[in-house]
This record gives sequence, C-alpha cells and structure tokens, in this order.
Amino acid sequence: MTRGYHDIGGDQAGSVPQQELPWLHWEKQVEAVRNLLGDATRRIISLDELRRGFESFGVEKYKKLSFYRRRLEAMIDILIEKEVVAREELEAEIARVRARWRTARGGLP
Amino acid sequence: MSHADVHHHDRAHTHHADETLVTEDEAGNLEAQIIIDALQNLLVTKNLLAPEEVTQEIERLEAPGVHLGALIVARAWADPAYKARLLANGKSAALELGIKVGEAQLIVVENSTTVHNLVCCTLCSCYPRSILGQPPSWYISKAYRARAVREPRVVLAEFGLLLPEDVELRVHDSNADMRYLILPERPTGSESMDMSQLAELVTRDCMIGVAKVAPVRAPRK
Amino acid sequence: MTVRFRVGDTVKVSDLGKAGHIRTPFYVRGKVGEVIQFCGFFLNPENLAVGNTAGPVIPLYRVSFRQKDLWPHYEGSPGDKVLIEIYDHWLTAAPGITSGKCEAERSS
Repeated sequence: MTRGYHDIGGDQAGSVPQQELPWLHWEKQVEAVRNLLGDATRRIISLDELRRGFESFGVEKYKKLSFYRRRLEAMIDILIEKEVVAREELEAEIARVRARWRTARGGLP
Repeated sequence: MSHADVHHHDRAHTHHADETLVTEDEAGNLEAQIIIDALQNLLVTKNLLAPEEVTQEIERLEAPGVHLGALIVARAWADPAYKARLLANGKSAALELGIKVGEAQLIVVENSTTVHNLVCCTLCSCYPRSILGQPPSWYISKAYRARAVREPRVVLAEFGLLLPEDVELRVHDSNADMRYLILPERPTGSESMDMSQLAELVTRDCMIGVAKVAPVRAPRK
Repeated sequence: MTVRFRVGDTVKVSDLGKAGHIRTPFYVRGKVGEVIQFCGFFLNPENLAVGNTAGPVIPLYRVSFRQKDLWPHYEGSPGDKVLIEIYDHWLTAAPGITSGKCEAERSS
C-alpha cells in the first residue's frame, strides 16, 4: 500500500500540545497570496496543488517545517514548477529583501 | 546562497520531540517574512498580484471567527425550525444569517445525550475557516491529527472531557470537500437566555468537539 | 458517471495503490463501513492536484466505520465510529460482510 508521509491518521504520537500560537502576519500573507493566486481570475495554484506540494517535497522537510512554512515552501515549489517564478530570481529577491531588513535594523541579523 | 541553504543553515526550529508543536523561532519567523515578501514582490512585478489585494485578502481572512459559529449555534438552540434547516444544509442555513461559507458544503452535526461528535483532519488541516477563522495550533498538530481518529477518548481526556461509555463518540475526519461544525448541547440553566446571551456561551472548542458548553448557574436572588 | 452506492450500503475501501495526491487515508484502506450520506459530485482531487480540471465529476460519500473495525486494540466504546468522505472509485460493494449495526453488539 502506498502511504504518504503526511497520512498520519492512527500513528503513535505524544500528548496534544495545548499552547495556543498567535497567527502571525507572514502566515496570513502566505494564505492571502495563495488564495489570490488560486482565485477565479488567476487559477494559478489550487489548494489541491498546494497539498501535492507539501506531500511531495520530502519527509524530512515535512517533519521539520512548521505548518505555514510548509505551505509557503509548497507554494514556491509549485510556482517554480509552473515557471511562474524562477528559483534564481526568487533567491535574488530574497537577498535584496534581507539586505533591506538588515539596513532597517541597523545591521542586526 | 541558495534558498535551500538558507533553509537548512539559518534557522533553528523549536523541535524537541514529535509530539511538540513544530514552530519557528524568531529567526525562522523573520526568514519566512522575508521569503513571502520577496515572493510577493516578484508576483507584483509580474502583474499577478497587487499589494492592496493582499492587504484586503488578509483582512478578509481575519474577519471570520468564533463569534460567527456562536451565532449559528445560538440561533439553532433558540429556533428549532432553524436548527432543522441547519442540520439539513449547513451552508444555506449559515447564509440566512449572512455568513457566507466559502467551502463546498458545511455539515453540522449535533451532540446529544447519546452521541458526541469530534472533528479533525488527519491529512492536513481542513477546518471551517470561512466561519471560525484559523484552526487552533493543536488542531493542526501531529499529535491531534494522528490520535484523534485512533484514541479520541484519550485525546478528549487530555482536554478535560470524559465521556461516559454509553455515549457514542463519532469522529469526523474532514478529508475531502465537506467541512464540519458541531452543534453542542444547549447547557442547562440557559433556558431563559436570549440569543445574544446564548452566543456568549459558545466556545470554539465546543464547536470542534473537545469541550462541552458548561452549565449555566443561575444567580440566586 | 454513476452513483454506485446508496445510504445504508456496506462498502469496502479499496487500495488503489495510487501514487501522488490522494485523499483516502491509509487507516481506512481495506476496511468495511456503511454509507451514511451522499455528498454530491466533485472533481477528483487526484487530478486537480496536477492541474487537471477536465473531469468528470465523481460521487463523494460519507462512510461510517466502527472504531473496533479500524484498530485492533481500540479501547473506547463499541459504538464509537469514524466518519469520513470517500470518493466513489475507492469503494467496492461488500454486501456479504457485516459492517456492524451497533445495536446487535449491545446485548452485553
């Protein structure tokens, strides 16, 4: 039987972590961007494609990443797959944005 | 530095054991903010997005919440005919109250003295977001997703809810196109309350199924 | 496309051995349950996940499983169930197998 690493219903696990985490701005932004790209005017990435993204980017990544970070990474993978963005231009833009953050913070990481 | 290198070297996750919630630390959150900003910038440059749209969409995502679910529950408690319509077609009944369900369909399941319902999504995080907003962290945790279908009574006990053995526990795994909302039992002591008072009694956890609405203690004159 | 099952039918979940995005969890494969609701027609997420929106739409059902049929050492009540949505092509008829009306079990 094939079984995705995300298909964990019935697995052993510890107690349910009860702490409530706030919903952070970047997390909202990830959802917003995905929703917009998937809307009727664009149809660039559907929820099903997003799920395929995090179900196929590998078990180590899946276990290591937080929930919304998984969705961000999956969205990036699918957008690159569809040639909406290229990995190099994304990396370049990430570097630019990071540099601006550092400047804004006075050189602090 | 490649994006992959950034991911593996620059972040330390708070991740002690499988059952611990996987979260980003401060550096990880900053990194994620940088990445989504960068992605958004590119998409704007390519005329696929406008920044104002993202702002508006975030506001739209922030709007639903427990208060909307509470309205539905309170109305169902107060109005038996509404409750019947709600149980028959959750989406159209929610729309009667001005609540637009964005998912394919809403199935409302009713708790009673003989049946208790619990909702989960083992495969990812499906949840009635257009009504209740984002799910709580524990709902999307590995522990809840893995164990809610297999040992739900133990999971409920962790939340402080002990079900008698003669109550049937139904776990709904929202794995496809339906979304689920639990209609909790109306608490004793609430008989004379109006709808807005009733709505105040309803908590998120009662609509997911890990809690019951507490009995109302009437003030003694 | 045909709606092959009705409410009350006993069904068994196939293991289609499919790679890629599927919405039928591992824990119900090979298990027998009872159709409790017809949910309507939907595009197949297995195809949507690779951008194929061509269709046809397929029937989706809610199927109820007894917990004791899913887990060998289930410790809750005999009446406890899991209800889950299964697409038509994952189901086969299993009329000869008792899916278990829990009333019959409650004699003890």
